[in-house]
Amino acid sequence: MIQELYFDVTVIGAGPAGLAAALASDHEGAKTLLIEREARLGGILKQCIHDGFGLVRFGEKLSGPEYAERFIEQLPDSHVEVWTLSFVSEIKREKNESLLTVITREGMKRIRTRSLILATGCRERTSRQIGVHGRHCAGVLTAGTAQYYTNILGKLPTKRCVILGSGDIGLIMARRLTLEGAKVVGVYEAKPTPSGLMRNVSQCLWDFDIPLQVSKTVTRVIGDARLTAVEIASVDACMCPIKGTEEIIPCDALILSVGLIPENELAESIGVPIDFKTKGAVVDERNETLLRGVFACGNALHVNDLVDYVSESGEVAGKAAASPTNRSRGLVPVECDQSLLYVVPQRLCRNSEEMERVFFFRSARDMDNATLTVAKGEQVLFTKKFAHLRPPEMERIPITLSKKELDGNLPLRFHLEE
Amino acid sequence: MTEQKNQTSAREIVCIVCPNGCRIQCKETDGQIVCNGQKCMRGKEYAIAELTHPMRSLTTSVRTVFPDSPVVSVRTSGEIEKSKLIDVTKALGQIIVDQRIKIGDIIAENICDTGINVICTSDRLVHPY
Amino acid sequence: MSYIKRVNRKLTARFGGRVSAREQDCVLYLEGELDQWDDVVAAGLVSVNRKRYDGLVNDIRFTGDQIPPMRLPKIQDDALNGATPDVLIIGGGIIGSAIARECARYDMRILLVEKEHDIAMQTTSRNDGMVHPGIDLIPGQIKRRYNMRGNRMYDQVCAELDVPFLRSGQYVCFQGRMLAIAAFFGQLYYKLLGPRVQYLSKKEFFKREPNMSPAITAALFYPDAGVVSPYGLALAYAENAVDNGVQASFDTAVLDMTVEDGRITSVQTNRGTIYPKVVINAAGVFSEDIARMAQDRFFSIHPRKGTNTILDHKASVRMRTIVSSYGTSDTKKRHTKGGGLVKTIDRNILVGPDAVETYLKEDFSTSAENIAFVFDKQRITDPALHMRDAITYFSGIRAATYEEDFIIRKGKWTKNIVHAAGIQSPGITAAPAIAVDVSKMAADVLSQTREVKPNPVFNPIHKSIVRANELSETERDALIRKNPDYGEIVCRCEQISRGEVIDALHRSILCDTLDGVRRRVRPSGGRCQGAFCGPLVLQIIAQECKESLEMVGKSGPGGEVLFGSIKEVQP
Repeated sequence: MIQELYFDVTVIGAGPAGLAAALASDHEGAKTLLIEREARLGGILKQCIHDGFGLVRFGEKLSGPEYAERFIEQLPDSHVEVWTLSFVSEIKREKNESLLTVITREGMKRIRTRSLILATGCRERTSRQIGVHGRHCAGVLTAGTAQYYTNILGKLPTKRCVILGSGDIGLIMARRLTLEGAKVVGVYEAKPTPSGLMRNVSQCLWDFDIPLQVSKTVTRVIGDARLTAVEIASVDACMCPIKGTEEIIPCDALILSVGLIPENELAESIGVPIDFKTKGAVVDERNETLLRGVFACGNALHVNDLVDYVSESGEVAGKAAASPTNRSRGLVPVECDQSLLYVVPQRLCRNSEEMERVFFFRSARDMDNATLTVAKGEQVLFTKKFAHLRPPEMERIPITLSKKELDGNLPLRFHLEE
Repeated sequence: MTEQKNQTSAREIVCIVCPNGCRIQCKETDGQIVCNGQKCMRGKEYAIAELTHPMRSLTTSVRTVFPDSPVVSVRTSGEIEKSKLIDVTKALGQIIVDQRIKIGDIIAENICDTGINVICTSDRLVHPY
Repeated sequence: MSYIKRVNRKLTARFGGRVSAREQDCVLYLEGELDQWDDVVAAGLVSVNRKRYDGLVNDIRFTGDQIPPMRLPKIQDDALNGATPDVLIIGGGIIGSAIARECARYDMRILLVEKEHDIAMQTTSRNDGMVHPGIDLIPGQIKRRYNMRGNRMYDQVCAELDVPFLRSGQYVCFQGRMLAIAAFFGQLYYKLLGPRVQYLSKKEFFKREPNMSPAITAALFYPDAGVVSPYGLALAYAENAVDNGVQASFDTAVLDMTVEDGRITSVQTNRGTIYPKVVINAAGVFSEDIARMAQDRFFSIHPRKGTNTILDHKASVRMRTIVSSYGTSDTKKRHTKGGGLVKTIDRNILVGPDAVETYLKEDFSTSAENIAFVFDKQRITDPALHMRDAITYFSGIRAATYEEDFIIRKGKWTKNIVHAAGIQSPGITAAPAIAVDVSKMAADVLSQTREVKPNPVFNPIHKSIVRANELSETERDALIRKNPDYGEIVCRCEQISRGEVIDALHRSILCDTLDGVRRRVRPSGGRCQGAFCGPLVLQIIAQECKESLEMVGKSGPGGEVLFGSIKEVQP
């Protein structure tokens, strides 16, 4: 018989979101468990050895491991119970509690928890998901995997590579590999504009004269046991390759930085509703999902570009999970039209005491001098001007909304106009 | 999406100080640099430095003797000249860490005569997890 | 007018004077030159006559492109030089592996050579894993006979070899009223013919498979259809063979043979010269090349490529078993069973395959057009199919003869060769039966030189690697307490433990590659496709096989993943 343990709050994932959530929950006095499947805490930050983390939160430019350490070092003084090399294989719901089956090196364990925080992060899209064809050979890998090989194992996965996709990890890896002596032939982006932050385009590509080729994609990989070349083609406005524009580029690796997808397999297994826009759970401003007692935060909720916001989102969830209420939330839907990619949270609690709510959104396209309008029916509740908006750059915006303003059943609508 | 290089009179610089990534228009007239587009003072400082003596911090890793962590991450304690990035990286190739160092420990002093130290940025050599 | 004259008239009408046919010793030979591969194949297909000839040899020279030679292993040594096995099996696919195990029932010294780095690297692992009920095969075909026999053997073989096998059944769906009526009468025809069948009305069908196209009006259910992991089965066969004394040598390619007085006396490989008493040709797409070396070439292979796509588990819950639609598989025209949508043994939906003639025997590349074609075709059955649910796709090459039938026989001219050639669908289904017959033929040939007795210590039982996530919670707990490695999950998508990965590296068939581990215990088989677990598995391989990280390959030598330490490598 497998013994059952009880925790007020259980956090799955000890990356930046989970660490912050566990510490916040513990700070509120809840009996907290932090479960991590890897041997070490910190999640993806362990391999993000570049700097730029923590500017918002600590006013410093930290590397990923340093940023993680700011949280990890607080654990010994907290009451958070930490399990590493522990894998949650199944979650069941019983009334408003969650029942977790955990696989550990000591055996199977069962956890009963009042509040569950999903801080499971995200995963990278693979070559297969974006339709790269050719032979399955060695040398096709995601930027995150390349980063693990380089920064954790200290081994080079390429001497001459093509990077497909201009996401931030791809840009960072372009610089990293170049500094290690590898040749980055170019970064190819199917969209007409780069997907990563402009500062990364500047300091990772321009600094090293690495060409950024937009509106081009990899159509085929060529190689037998190991990749020997890729075929590149220009794409039209619908991102379809244009016949006759193909060129063959010799290289030993294709590194992909073509987007991240929130990991929500556990959430979906217990029926947490997912927002098809963010691919993360639908949550209220306390990061509680539509299932009472189940919270989501960090990149599992929506893919962030700043770790500082990930930690903030973890803290919000941790704090809320530690002090749950059975009171009805009086959820008001938050919607956005096509001028935005998404807005988080997707619900607001009408019955909340807190008036200031923090929203995160991304614009659907590049915009200059854009005005954000938040309206409820005909009534405009909030407006703000933005000098530049770019889809890769997430905006954080606190908005104060009174109880009265949230009355009625009409949804809150976010809209952007240039 | 290309940087307008080799135009000393007017140039757009993307600020890398913070994630805002401000695009700063710089004009040089009679030795005076005028900047537009930055949201803060640090942006202006960065833009002027970028035009006169570009500086960067370097993050990389060095090899260790420990099989559980064959490399450990490091960075320069401050900014170094951009042109020295490759030299410093190469110099760090000569170093093999044989102590269980922790965050902030100096692994190389005054690297390549830059006046800057290289420090460890990870506790993976000392952490139980 | 004689048949050969009629064939020549047909060929002249179609290709001018560029192609001609001649017959000799009951074999039809085509000669000439063509610059379109489809024409080369078409010439074979219009000329073939299985009743009149033992085979068709298509010697038309293809001038449109250079046909690449067989990929050869990089290794050159004399590890096998001077070996004198009783039986040499060429090819380590499902057919060669199954034959090796069945041969081990006799007191024969058996050597299996495979040019790739592992078992089941080519056609065997590149299909849909269906165990066919034998619906659309024609009576009189050799493959139909073996399909029926093989299908019946599956329960016992998979039980002995400890390979998961699920007789989940297959639906063939019909749309429109006319076809529904035709289906009803069709079932009566099948009832006479062999495979068990059940007619289902629209209502009954949707009770079982509620998510398929609403246009479906009736279905036939074939309860004998099933699914298996084709490479899982091939591996189990091969491991059981090795456990029973068979020697298996990988990275070993047959380069040539010496034939004297109608007998193969020696076989040259990149690892030395072998002197076998009997040779078994199970070389898949290269079986015609082996036959040529053995001076026993009376058939030709026209390779036919098929592409399959695997969908995520999330999208795979919508279907329970194998569903195909009448009219989508183009069976008569394209010579593929066209499984349609197959719920694999690993519970993913597999979409495919198509059938494209090619002269490239080892071109496993995929293309967007082929996949789009397959999806379009299969949307007739399930309109909700979408490429965004795909986690991977792969191509395989079928070893089709012009007769579109298997060749299971002793040599035509050469006395000590047995062919198991021209094996395409339903090769997986037929393999157990083929292996029984071919091993008998081999024993029979050998018995001309010495007495062949049963192997008294043959053990048919094979134990597979433990599948921890299929155990009950308490069993799994007990397993972990014995060995904590089973409690450390390496592959998060498929929940594979470190212990299982280590097991895969210490079996009777050597495994030391990422793909090898993936095929044995499925890490990287899920939606992340190895982005997370790839580096972990790579480290475990290096550690267990006592290699450096740089030596670990994806699929074998030449496919190494890493180039050396940072700050050390000079690119």
